[in-house]
Amino acid sequence: MGADIAAGRRSRTAQGLAAGAFLGPATCVVLVTMVAPLLLLARYSANRYSATDLMIEAVTPENYLRFFTDTFYLGVMRTTIGVAVLSTLLCVLFGLPLAWRLARMAPRWKGVCMLGVILPLFIGSTVRTVGWMILLARGGLMDIATTRLFATRLDLMFTPTAVIVGIVSFNLPYLVLTMQSVFDRVDVQLEQAAQALGAPPVRAFWRVVWPLVLPGVAIAAVMCFILSMNAYATPVLLGGPRFQMMAPLLYWEFGTNNNWPFAAALAFILMGTTLLLTVFANMLIPRRYRA
Amino acid sequence: MAAQAMMNGQAAISPAVPVAGIQQALARNTARILAAIGAVVVFLPLVLTVYLSVFDESLIAFPPRGYTLAWYGQILDKFGEPLWTSVQIALACVVLSLLIGIPAGIGLSRYRFRGREVISTLLLAPLTVPGVALGLGIYVFAVWVEESSGLALSGSLALLIAGHVLITLPWVVRLCMAGLVNHDRAAEEAATSLGARPLTVIWRVTLPAMRAGVLAGALFAFIVSFENLEMTIFLVSPGMNTLPIAVLTYLLYHIDPLVAAVAVAQMVLIGAALILLDRFVRVAQVVR
Repeated sequence: MGADIAAGRRSRTAQGLAAGAFLGPATCVVLVTMVAPLLLLARYSANRYSATDLMIEAVTPENYLRFFTDTFYLGVMRTTIGVAVLSTLLCVLFGLPLAWRLARMAPRWKGVCMLGVILPLFIGSTVRTVGWMILLARGGLMDIATTRLFATRLDLMFTPTAVIVGIVSFNLPYLVLTMQSVFDRVDVQLEQAAQALGAPPVRAFWRVVWPLVLPGVAIAAVMCFILSMNAYATPVLLGGPRFQMMAPLLYWEFGTNNNWPFAAALAFILMGTTLLLTVFANMLIPRRYRA
Repeated sequence: MAAQAMMNGQAAISPAVPVAGIQQALARNTARILAAIGAVVVFLPLVLTVYLSVFDESLIAFPPRGYTLAWYGQILDKFGEPLWTSVQIALACVVLSLLIGIPAGIGLSRYRFRGREVISTLLLAPLTVPGVALGLGIYVFAVWVEESSGLALSGSLALLIAGHVLITLPWVVRLCMAGLVNHDRAAEEAATSLGARPLTVIWRVTLPAMRAGVLAGALFAFIVSFENLEMTIFLVSPGMNTLPIAVLTYLLYHIDPLVAAVAVAQMVLIGAALILLDRFVRVAQVVR
């Protein structure tokens, strides 16, 4: 009995050592390249900026206060949240039927179509804006088409619309892919049962399928929202120099102004706001549907 | 025919049926139109990029004078150097993140211990932290280390690779774990009881079983590193450029068939890699 316990303990220690050996290096890498830098960044965000010495050690909330008292920065945050919310809604609107169609497709075509959805995911954000620039730029396709047809110029480049369209185009495949997998898990027989009992397809969807997939859709939408909040290349290229969102603003404070403390504070404000809104969005979902 | 006649007959009797029928048709068509718009929004820019890349013009002009493939020949001249930097970083990143990530994947799927949740959340966290925050943090940290130790870190290739390993690691870990989901540990136990040493068991039994996951991990690590922009802009030194940064700076000043050709070349390469990978692993199962 006692020997058994001792053996059990010994094997548990051995297992602990083995787990440590397997997971140690990866954990160390993340600790050194993510946790430590973020901690240092948090410390720096309480420092003071000086034009001559760049950074003076201090413990002050002024970087955060500056953000929340300056209408310019609050405006940037408002734009960022607005763009993120709107593009997420549009993504869900277009993505839902696409994902549904994919999930209920014959297996022969599904494989090809799935690859078609995945491919854009892995083409970088810069490369994917090229297409939109061709379409929206002055002298681009849209401009030429409207000039010929209606004799009016249509310059959508460097407008919020362009940014939202670009972000929707970029995030939609993520959303479709995630929602497709959620729809896949819903048994076809459930819909068939609903329809056999007399519910038309649309009603069968909203009454039977929708409550089942709502948690999954919420997760996909939140992911999409986070991606939009952090967008960099799309606002820079399609929004132009005067359109400001959080991620480009952060880079500008770092690269052009050399204001590390404020850039650090911006990083935490961005992460904090995203987290807060994510939690808030989760609370909007009726409790019984939550994941 | 007969069924239709019957439906018409029914419709004549009860007015509720055609209203419901119209609603049905409306809903179905709305869904169809929305799906179509979605597909157009995703694919139209890609198609346009391919179209522009063969223009025989140095600017966007419709219709073009003619079509040429000459732009593709200029890619290496104009973008060769950043391309090479990106490939180097991505390859180093694949090797390192596999070396660190495969054991982590095996460890997480094999052992149940206290704090396992914490470790697994930690290892996947780089996927959710914004790229700009990671980039700024790593740069600032590197400067701090440099000041206290004298190591020349900031702006070095090593720092870029370290940063990229951080963001590719979660993919490798995740894909390795997915590769082991259906793995039966009985085979490992059998090998052990037959006298195989632990490392031999991993090399001869576990690794072959998770081959698909490892392959997918390697490919995703390459792609994720290759296309990263948000974090990389904080880590490059003035003389150094990766391909996404070079494309971004180019696009800030001009949009022409050359940059479209670069974009298409990248699309084709990544597409080919994904299709190749799809023969070994169901990519669709593995991505989410």
